[in-house]
Amino acid sequence: MSGARFKVKALSWSPYIEPVDVTTATEEQLAAMQVTPSNTKVSPYVRTLAHDPESYVARTKLFNAIMYAKGGLDRAERELGALVASAVNRCVYCASVHARRYVELSGRDEVVEEIYVRGLEGSFDEKTKAIVDFCKTLSQTPSQVTKEQVQTLRDHGMSKADIVDLIHSAAIFGWANRLMHTLGHAEPVDTK
Amino acid sequence: MDQIDRLSGIAPGSELYDIRRQRPDFVDGTELCRQTVLTPTHGFDLGHDLRAALAARMARFLGHEELAKTYDEMLAQAGATPLLSGIAAGGELPAEADSFLRTILRHADLVTKTPRENTKADIEALEAAGLSNPQIIALSELIAFVNFEARVIVGLAALGEVA
Repeated sequence: MSGARFKVKALSWSPYIEPVDVTTATEEQLAAMQVTPSNTKVSPYVRTLAHDPESYVARTKLFNAIMYAKGGLDRAERELGALVASAVNRCVYCASVHARRYVELSGRDEVVEEIYVRGLEGSFDEKTKAIVDFCKTLSQTPSQVTKEQVQTLRDHGMSKADIVDLIHSAAIFGWANRLMHTLGHAEPVDTK
Repeated sequence: MDQIDRLSGIAPGSELYDIRRQRPDFVDGTELCRQTVLTPTHGFDLGHDLRAALAARMARFLGHEELAKTYDEMLAQAGATPLLSGIAAGGELPAEADSFLRTILRHADLVTKTPRENTKADIEALEAAGLSNPQIIALSELIAFVNFEARVIVGLAALGEVA
């Protein structure tokens, strides 16, 4: 089917441990999950992490700041950092979510297709390649990150503030992948 | 100046120091997360000493000796024992160590080095060794935090070297 746009399927996530039950949760867990009488639907992922509400609340705030803070690095490129980390760590659920967000924000399904079909060694335009290479090394073997990789990002017009944002978006997925991929698994969902 | 600045070679008043402060939610948020995984109020019987020892060990496996030393110091303050110091140093556990500790260590090593290889069996191993669900989550968040922190430090340090 020529001309068909590459699509990444939506997945659902199921935990390997029993998540917190909203009806028996502690006050602190309910507050962490932001459960209110009008909002009792909480995802299995949130209910799984709510076993430790203290770390869940702090990490969620940091995560949201890194992925959604105004200004700085383009949101699409933060999603690309997230996608590259998720590809390195083979977190198929995170990869699926952030591949789709990247396409929504950038319209560049060809980049996602390349990553899914040929991997992070595939061929990309030069700036995308610079971002992919840097985030791949940072995710895989942080001790092997080089200043040349960062200089290449600068050469493609990224400011130092942009690069600070990129570092954080890849790094926070080094965190998120280590939760999502180790604590549960992804399953296909029906998409109509 | 915080731990991230110090370990990334970022001096107060430098360009990168000021750029970091344009994102106060990243700077403060990282320190708050550090507290919740290293020195939490509710630790679910995973002591601050064990947490510091595991953090030092993971930092070593990530190739960041300076970060590891920071956690060695935290361990010393929390009260190091030969067993915990051995964990921090990255060594094997003595033969008499219990399966609770042995399984925690195995998990921390695995999730740090090869998270892509993790399966349901690894969580079942934690359950079989007697970890509660809160302990499994607390351990997972600690492991993931150190992996995050090491990457932020390495990235910022490299950025500090370019014009």
